[in-house]
Amino acid sequence: MMKSRYSPVLETVPPVEGVRKKIIFRTAGDGWLQEEYGDEQVFDLMDTFRLFTLMDKLQKVQIPGLIEFGNGFRTMTYRYDPKVISARELIKYIIEIEESIGSVEEMSFKSRIVELPIVFEDSVTRAAIEKYKKEIRPDTPNIVNGHNLRYVAMYNGITPEELKEKVLGTEWLLSHQLFWPGGTYQLPIDPRSSIEAPKYNPSRTYTPEGTVGLGGWCLYIYTTESPGGYQLLGRTIPTYQASQRHPAFKDKPFLLMASDRIKYVETTEDKLLEIYKLVHEEASSKYQYKITESVFKVKDWLNFINREDIKAEVREFEKRKREAQKVVKVP
Amino acid sequence: MSKIEYGSLVIKSGGIQTLVEDWPGRVGYYKYGYAISGAADHYAHRMANLLVGNPITEATLEIAGGLFEAEFKHDTVIAVTGADMNPEINGKAISLWKSIRVNNGDVIKFNVSKGVGFRAYIAFAGGINVPVFFGSKSTCIWGAYGGFQGRALRKGDTLQIGKLQEKQLEKLEGRYIKPRFIPNYENTWKVRMLPGPTAAPDYVTEKGYEKIYSTIFKIDRNSDRSGYRLITPKEIFPQEWARKTGGVAGLHPSNLVDMGYPIPGGLNVTGDMIIILGPDGPCGGGFTIIGTVIYYDVWKVFQAIPAKDYIKFEYVDIDEAEKLRKEQDEIFKEEVVIGGV
Repeated sequence: MMKSRYSPVLETVPPVEGVRKKIIFRTAGDGWLQEEYGDEQVFDLMDTFRLFTLMDKLQKVQIPGLIEFGNGFRTMTYRYDPKVISARELIKYIIEIEESIGSVEEMSFKSRIVELPIVFEDSVTRAAIEKYKKEIRPDTPNIVNGHNLRYVAMYNGITPEELKEKVLGTEWLLSHQLFWPGGTYQLPIDPRSSIEAPKYNPSRTYTPEGTVGLGGWCLYIYTTESPGGYQLLGRTIPTYQASQRHPAFKDKPFLLMASDRIKYVETTEDKLLEIYKLVHEEASSKYQYKITESVFKVKDWLNFINREDIKAEVREFEKRKREAQKVVKVP
Repeated sequence: MSKIEYGSLVIKSGGIQTLVEDWPGRVGYYKYGYAISGAADHYAHRMANLLVGNPITEATLEIAGGLFEAEFKHDTVIAVTGADMNPEINGKAISLWKSIRVNNGDVIKFNVSKGVGFRAYIAFAGGINVPVFFGSKSTCIWGAYGGFQGRALRKGDTLQIGKLQEKQLEKLEGRYIKPRFIPNYENTWKVRMLPGPTAAPDYVTEKGYEKIYSTIFKIDRNSDRSGYRLITPKEIFPQEWARKTGGVAGLHPSNLVDMGYPIPGGLNVTGDMIIILGPDGPCGGGFTIIGTVIYYDVWKVFQAIPAKDYIKFEYVDIDEAEKLRKEQDEIFKEEVVIGGV
């Protein structure tokens, strides 16, 4: 079949059984190129893991004319200088790197564990929700008892306490940051914590700094005050500091990066506010962020998620979610 | 090069929106979510810098809409390029695409666009002194970072601009851009657009592209440096989506699993509306990108007047687009300038 002139596909690399999916290279303008894993739009952490490894390799080689790159969940986007390299030439370099990456199952990658205190249904996010209700949409169905948390629990067919346990009971993998400086899209490592939420409609004009929200399958920390559309669950400590006064932000204004794993730990509102004061007002090393260097082994994770008992619990939770979503209104 | 000294430019009116922007904006921080930013009209920006002897990467002032006014506090040389907003110095009209001597106490004042073009640029000999934030002096206005305190200029601000020796200024004044390098400004902007990355046949039908390439799109009033919204006929979207839903990513066929966006120029379709992403556009998100306006032409999009002008796409392929970009980058050399000493 002759290729359509509207097809963006420049190259495909066939899948290798047990090693990788099909790879597709698509033009994204003269200066941008997209690499995609597999034909289908799916959320598959295995794709994201492979992208981390690819990113690591890309950082270690010099490809002439490659300016920078950034990963999504299942795609890598490359920015290149056509004066130095064409998209077609760039693809050859990338394929060479891809060929050097083995099976994702055998992979391990560097992944820091960052412990972040969280307060559910705290007063700051509560005030933001109140503002939305007053100024934007008074009859929105996603506010129950003045907050979104209970609504999200209902949407997942679980109690508010079970919802909190699901947030606290897993590490959340930061997949990518494309959208907002130091952005924090996170997916749960433990599939039993795979909670879901529809987005605000219409979206919010204001979200407080440190808000932890849920949209689709993604948990997200709003690094700075900003608009937004995710359902609010609570608030965590600062993960962004423009002034870079606190030692944790000395090298860059954002704390978190792709491939980090976040472990939320419940705290009280007083303690949370005290940390805000120490970090932002006093820039004091009296508050030290709890960050541990670690390695993520894909095989261990696969062994865990493929356990029969885990799979049964995931199936059970999926069923509860589907049942609940038949009756819970979407904004 | 010796160290540049700076003097003051006192802002008397920020106008509709006046920003500090350099070129090509932020490089190397895309994956951390920092907007690329930079001059929306990269062509006029680079020419302005050439005229006053700056590197083409130096920051200029980007004046959107007009009504900017400022007072110089030292003698210097400037150049105005881009849209003609009837700029005046002390009430006397000045030429565009030409370097001009200004003196201590002079007031520069912009009116509004004459009806074609939306952004004017002022380059100052010696440049603009604002902090370099993540590798660039550019402002990202919706993110409120970079440039002058992360915001548009307003009355009472003092901006630091280059203060050169008299000997240097003499060499820089009275220089012109050769007329054939001054672009035509129109109300229907023809721009070449390359389909992809999420294009035919899996996301948009072939017929959809035929329609997109044969439609003249009116620009919506809600258009800015983040994106230019095009009023998109129903015969294009939703009619020509090649799939019924976005699957796991959402109900609407424009939804997909989050990916990086090409900036500037990506044709982001959110819901059924085409938005041409601007220099401040988000680095990524969960909506299709059905094409990209090629870099050679992308400045034209941001010279279009919101709620007034039109965009017409023309087909181009990747090989031609890359060739054009190389050709354009070759233009910005001293040879396009006439005059001076």
